[in-house]
Amino acid sequence: MSSSRTRLTVVPTQRILVGRGLALLAALLIVAVTLAAMGRSPITLFGLVMHSTVGSRFGLEDLALFMTPLMLTGAAVWVGIRVNLWNIGAEGQFYAGATAATAVGLFTGLPPALAIPAMIVAGMAAGMAWIFVPAVARAWLGVSEIVTTLLLNFVASLLVYYLATGPWADRVTGALASTERLHVILPDIWGVVHWGFPLAVFTVVVLGVLLARSRFGYETAIAGANPEAARYAGISVAPRVLAVLLLSGGLAGLAGMVEVAGTVHRLQGGIANNYGYLGIVVALLARGSCLSLIPAALLMAFILDTGIVLQTTQISASAVLAITGLLVLAIAVGDELAAYARVKKTS
Amino acid sequence: MDEHERSEGAPRPLNLAPGTPPVLTLSGICKYFPGVIANEDVSLDVFPGQIHALLGENGAGKSTLMNVVTGLYQPDGGEIIVDGYGVTFAAPDAAIAAGIGMVHQHFKLVSRFTVAENLHLGWSETPRRLSARQIEANARTLSEKFGLAIRPEAVVGTLSAGEQQRVEILRVLSRGARLLILDEPTAVLSPVEVGELFIALRRFRDGGGAVIIISHKLDEIMALTDRVSVLRHGRLVGTHLTASTTPALLVAEMIGRPVTLATSYPRGNEVPVTPSPLVLEEVTARDDGGIIRLEGVTLSLRAGEILGVAGVTGNGQPELAEVLTGLRAPDQGSVALDGVAVKQADPAVFARAGVGHVPEDRLRRALAPSLSVAENAVLREYAQAPIGGRFGFSIVRAREFAQLLADKVGVKLPGAMMPIRGLSGGNQQRLVLEREIRIASRVLVASYPSRGLDIGAIAAMREMLAKARDAGVAVVLMSEDLDEIFALSDRVAVLCAGRLMAVIDRCDADRDRIGALMSGRTQAEAA
Repeated sequence: MSSSRTRLTVVPTQRILVGRGLALLAALLIVAVTLAAMGRSPITLFGLVMHSTVGSRFGLEDLALFMTPLMLTGAAVWVGIRVNLWNIGAEGQFYAGATAATAVGLFTGLPPALAIPAMIVAGMAAGMAWIFVPAVARAWLGVSEIVTTLLLNFVASLLVYYLATGPWADRVTGALASTERLHVILPDIWGVVHWGFPLAVFTVVVLGVLLARSRFGYETAIAGANPEAARYAGISVAPRVLAVLLLSGGLAGLAGMVEVAGTVHRLQGGIANNYGYLGIVVALLARGSCLSLIPAALLMAFILDTGIVLQTTQISASAVLAITGLLVLAIAVGDELAAYARVKKTS
Repeated sequence: MDEHERSEGAPRPLNLAPGTPPVLTLSGICKYFPGVIANEDVSLDVFPGQIHALLGENGAGKSTLMNVVTGLYQPDGGEIIVDGYGVTFAAPDAAIAAGIGMVHQHFKLVSRFTVAENLHLGWSETPRRLSARQIEANARTLSEKFGLAIRPEAVVGTLSAGEQQRVEILRVLSRGARLLILDEPTAVLSPVEVGELFIALRRFRDGGGAVIIISHKLDEIMALTDRVSVLRHGRLVGTHLTASTTPALLVAEMIGRPVTLATSYPRGNEVPVTPSPLVLEEVTARDDGGIIRLEGVTLSLRAGEILGVAGVTGNGQPELAEVLTGLRAPDQGSVALDGVAVKQADPAVFARAGVGHVPEDRLRRALAPSLSVAENAVLREYAQAPIGGRFGFSIVRAREFAQLLADKVGVKLPGAMMPIRGLSGGNQQRLVLEREIRIASRVLVASYPSRGLDIGAIAAMREMLAKARDAGVAVVLMSEDLDEIFALSDRVAVLCAGRLMAVIDRCDADRDRIGALMSGRTQAEAA
């Protein structure tokens, strides 16, 4: 007499994977239909996209370069969401990390063996510093971290524009929009792919293992899921909120360092390229699993690359945003529908 | 199942006019969740002018069945028949329109609105132009019509649980409900409020209304209801006329074997003479809103004895439990843990000293509902080997630990990694109790530990408390059930309006004396 479907409270991973696979197909279909309606041949464009991403060495290198910062900003947002904290400011901490790394790379004159570790430390410290005030306000005063971290993004972005076009601007070439090339950069390992890529993969794996196997990981999970229960169990919540947000800021700062030292090689306005915001998408796609950040970052990199390819064929740059939005929507719908299971009757 | 078979043991009421159909007939209702049979082949009739009890263990499928009846769930099989016509409730509004109203255990009122505003919220008959005077007058008319005393201008957040419940019931009745469903309505009420509720329900029944009441309390069922249906493992075991059954028969039917609660738990050994593990001296404490809830409480716990705390709900019990477990610092006075004065409220210090705590609201305070059973099971021992240490934590060991805990208290886990909110309230309570008893080497504070448990689980819980007592733990038992306090306690403390009225030895305590103290009379007056 009625629907025999029920909503599962715990959805098996397999169902999620199937749901997401179908969601991807649906999104692809909508994009194809839209392109066809614009008078373009979806098949030709699809071939072109495939060739320029997974179908050629150049494309693969590009994907890896996009993935590198996305894995790290994804991880930055993910550690927060895991305990119910929303760091919307990865973009700003990314800028802060890139700026600090640039300062080390331009002005210290250290040899590369020392300069690169120093840049990593400086980048992470700057990311932490950028989130420090919002983190303290959230931990002890209960001020929403969403608003404070978001607003600091604009400060960071404008500060980098100022530095890159003002005091730190490249006087040698006269290209006024960026600093000069860093004196120390991350070495390449495969074409233009640099050590930042394995570093990002390593960071994600270590983060996943540490959080799952450490007392810190357990205590923060409890504090995030139910602060009252944490207090009952003698776990002080505020210091752990601070620690998680600092970790989040540090990871985003590391992303900024890797981007400036590995890919761009100079500090310039807009260097964050929305990686901080896209990190939110990557973290949401990864759901509860840290290792899933890697495929999620790959998917996001693929979309960014697709956007660039489409732009070369005179399709608006806004297409990337539209496709990203469509994909996130399709995946959200896919996840929801995956929770509905047909009930087997025992009779 | 035909009409005759279903009515066996519980025939139609004699005073019902021939041909009048039952208000509600369930015929072969089935409801499945993945891996679980919530209800299977449940058939029963609810007649007008009758109060019908629904009885069953935790997880027997009572709430699911009522959610099917009120349109929250769709049945997977069977039929719902209202007044002789088959119906399908696509959503709760459809059930309300058909005259079926439910009062949930947790009230669904807007606490900052007045009583009158809450009554008129989301109601088609609410006038378009609102004036406070008019809706208050409306509320007063409704109150008189249904015989439920309310104060229309009072803000709901300031009302007692009993008053809020009356508002909720009035709200349902004003929507034209002819069948009123109540989910454990007496769990949050004081004895006086229970009496008032019963008077109102009888009045509604005598006017031709039908009531379904879910309850664990057998004495209430015997006193109030006309017929009883018993569910076990999602299936209907039987329906009886209340007058022709006994509590013992119902219990046997409910859990498949006879169980009686012991009226005393003789100790296995002598009380050891040791210094008191926890002493309160002239303690005054405020709640989070800054209101004084405890005043000048002096109390010394004794190792190896159970101290029962009697008192009407809301007379300082939560604050007393919080002070005893280090969750709340006293405003004035001192707390001494093992003879050492405690300066700051630090639950970690108390837990390390061997103070276990079963809080009143386990889902809010003692568990992280969204996390797994394993993570919740190790909440007290995650920093100790083999689960964890200074830095490490092993989810594999946590899982084994959870399984151990569950086996010990007889909870069947579908899996240790499932979120703990997926377990029934009774099973959550059993796990919390065992987890706390494990660490309570000195003191165990148990607030309303039998709340929401069925009789089998209550018997097991009491055995656990008695065993802790025999092991030399100072047990503090807060309960609204005087029988429970009398059965277990060595001493009885009475709280009224935040003051400790008296601490009496069990042998000197009787029902009248405790009752008088609970209502605020001093010991001299009560003696």
